[in-house]
Amino acid sequence: MAALSSNLLLLLLMSSLDWLSTPGNGFFMARHDVTSPAPPEPHITECISRDQATFQCWWSPGNFHNLSSPGALRLFYINSLASEWKECPKYVHPNRECFFDNNHTSIWIPYCMQLRGQNNVTYYNEEDCFRVENIVRPDPPVSLNWTLLNISPSGLNYDVMVNWEAPPSADVKTGWMRIEYEIQYRAGNTTKWDALEMQRQTQQTIFGLHVGKEYEVHIRCRMRSFVRFGEFSDPIFIQVISSKGSTFPLTLVLVFGITGVLILVMLIVSSQQRRLMMILLPPVPAPKIKGIDPELLKWHTIIHRRGPDKFQLENKGKLDDLNFSSTGGGLGGPPTYATDFYQDELWVEFIEVDAEDAGTGEKEDNQGSDTQRLLDVPQPISHHMNIGFSNAVSFPDSDSGRASCYDPDVPDQDTLMATLLPGQPEDGEVKTSPAPERLLIRTQTAGPQTWFNTDFYAQVSNVMPTGGVVLSPGQQLRIQESTSGTEEEPQQGKEHKGSEDSEEEKEKEEQFQLLVVDPEGGRQAAESNTPQMFAPPSSPIPGEGYQTILPQPAETEPAATAEDGQSPYILPDSPQSQVFARVADYTVVQELNSQHSLLLNPPPRQSPPACRPQHPLKALPSMPVGYITPDLLGSLSP
Amino acid sequence: MVLQKAKGHVSSCQADTIMRRCVWAVLLWPNLLTSSVPLDCRQEQGGVSRCSSISQEKLLDRVIQHAELIYRVSEESCSLYEETFIPLPLQFQRNQAGYSCRTLPIPSSRSEVQQISDKWLLHSVLMLVQSWLEPLVYLQTSLDRYDAAPEVIINKTKWVSEKLISLEQGVVVLIKEMLDEGLLNLNHSEEALFQYDVQPEMVESVMKDYTLLSCFKKDAHKMEAFLKLLKCRQTEIYNCS
Repeated sequence: MAALSSNLLLLLLMSSLDWLSTPGNGFFMARHDVTSPAPPEPHITECISRDQATFQCWWSPGNFHNLSSPGALRLFYINSLASEWKECPKYVHPNRECFFDNNHTSIWIPYCMQLRGQNNVTYYNEEDCFRVENIVRPDPPVSLNWTLLNISPSGLNYDVMVNWEAPPSADVKTGWMRIEYEIQYRAGNTTKWDALEMQRQTQQTIFGLHVGKEYEVHIRCRMRSFVRFGEFSDPIFIQVISSKGSTFPLTLVLVFGITGVLILVMLIVSSQQRRLMMILLPPVPAPKIKGIDPELLKWHTIIHRRGPDKFQLENKGKLDDLNFSSTGGGLGGPPTYATDFYQDELWVEFIEVDAEDAGTGEKEDNQGSDTQRLLDVPQPISHHMNIGFSNAVSFPDSDSGRASCYDPDVPDQDTLMATLLPGQPEDGEVKTSPAPERLLIRTQTAGPQTWFNTDFYAQVSNVMPTGGVVLSPGQQLRIQESTSGTEEEPQQGKEHKGSEDSEEEKEKEEQFQLLVVDPEGGRQAAESNTPQMFAPPSSPIPGEGYQTILPQPAETEPAATAEDGQSPYILPDSPQSQVFARVADYTVVQELNSQHSLLLNPPPRQSPPACRPQHPLKALPSMPVGYITPDLLGSLSP
Repeated sequence: MVLQKAKGHVSSCQADTIMRRCVWAVLLWPNLLTSSVPLDCRQEQGGVSRCSSISQEKLLDRVIQHAELIYRVSEESCSLYEETFIPLPLQFQRNQAGYSCRTLPIPSSRSEVQQISDKWLLHSVLMLVQSWLEPLVYLQTSLDRYDAAPEVIINKTKWVSEKLISLEQGVVVLIKEMLDEGLLNLNHSEEALFQYDVQPEMVESVMKDYTLLSCFKKDAHKMEAFLKLLKCRQTEIYNCS
């Protein structure tokens, strides 16, 4: 016991010294793969246990070649159980090996090795000490083989199951050793091995091998939770040959096909770039009405001063040279369409007052003064007044109204056919159509207020029975009502169907309906019951009502609103003129003269009949409310 | 050698509860339970016992799993400690660290182990386990003193010491059941192997802790091997000699 304790003390001392010493050349260094040059003196090269029950140690004489003969060097060991150094129990001299069998092997206790030469020369390295479980390197597994699991649908890859058995020397069955395995594989021509995860079972799957390639697989093992691996087993070779021939063409075909398709697409795209852009990003169309060119709708009214008391209104627009083309029946829609169409459009663009002295032309700046002049002439003069309505077809007046059947100084009482329908490209001529048609135009205003808020417009709020134009008071123009309208009053009274009481009313929101009726048409224009045309002066128009105005008094429709031989004006009462809070937005266009001027005061029937057929609108067939059908338009052109 | 057969189910309520807790400890290992296993069921006398019974084989399996886990965790913590605190040159002294390990009078060679009886196997295991209860506590206090001790090592050490207590209880029950011995006294030796009041210097303390860890790892491996051998003998499938 004392020897044991002394030995223990010795060992303790040695261990404490070891902590401070520099790393030596003990074989245990190999654990950390630290390669150090072999020492010149005899030394222990390695000690290995295969089964954790026995172990072997090898030594080398180093540079001392005189000690290389067997028996020149002897190995001694000591452990905590032994009190002194013991010699190797079994020598294997050809290998310079010492084998420790079961009886001489103790696990979990430290061993130290020592070499002794002749004359008790001792070659001892303090680091040649170990515990047996730490030097265990199991034998490689045995019976390594593989089976094919599956092949990918493309026939290019396959999976393989590799299985093996534990080394027979390792006592795994009893649990004496717990072993884990490591598979490594590589393709036939590469030098780098791919390692799979440590495996505790005796089988493993290798995924993703390539058909046609040859693979090399080997395996090694170690004790679980230890670091030293055993040797690798002999490799096995895995190869699967595709049975359906080489897959090379398939890949090639795919690659080429895709490349060709891509090139084709690129060519198409580059050549049809513009078209593609149009298809993919179509330009946003400007708002337009079908069949109507917005440019054509722009028109203005020119008021020509024919005299100190005479004014002539002329519509001038961009449709002068246009041929009316039936671009669709959009305009000939059902009344409902007309209703919707006129829903929210202010159509009067502007009215020019053109003084004769100043020549013709658009002088908007003269509007004020001319309008003044206009309003100061409340004469029952029949003027040819052309009141323009926005989007209305403007009839060209090339001769300024002088060379036509209509005497500019004579109020034209002819039937006014006004194509007040928007978007009717007109070529300046209204063709008479055989079938009389009624044109019903129904207009609505968004509000009289908006009408007057623009500086460019002077709304004609009233038409004198004499043909004078009354501009709206919103333009700071005093509106003078023609007292001559008194003669119209009875008519008015007749015209007003149900609005007599409301003559003095001011409608904030009135809806005007303009009815242009074929003077020859026998049809009732509408069943409107609101004869009111002008907003403020006239009686309020209670909503959608149509006033049938027959240009020919003789042909006045049964509608009571029809004037009786008189100009079917709807005139505001003069007494109402002072109560103008709003201005009438509309007036009745009663007919068009040959000059395509809108006549609010249709000429009397005494007009030369020769000119009648020339009336542009006489032959207009009846139409649905608010529209002129294309064929009708054709008849409008003179 | 005389093989002691299993005597049937562990019927005592006290042992059942202990074993049940052992089972729970093993099953909940990944959660690193920190609560130790109380032996409250032991005190119940009479009354309706609700403790579930566990077969002896299962108990032995659980104990073996416990030992395996303890060894694995101790190996991990030892490696981690070595990487963190021990400079590379000194790492090779690992083996010599075994010299300062305590050696117990238990068989060390496989031949010896194969020759000893079941009783001796179990007692050896118990001795091993009990020999490490206190050093692990010391190790914990020592690690807590470090400034930069990784949390992982501290947690692992704590876990191991707790699981060791459970292992001890399991082995005690196994001894009782397999060997028909009375319940061993679980009071541990009062002899203090370590002196807590003396705090060594940093370097010395580091090396000492390193030694402790590696020695414990070795002994855990030993426990596991012993128990496995015992298991082999119980099943009698293989020639365990």
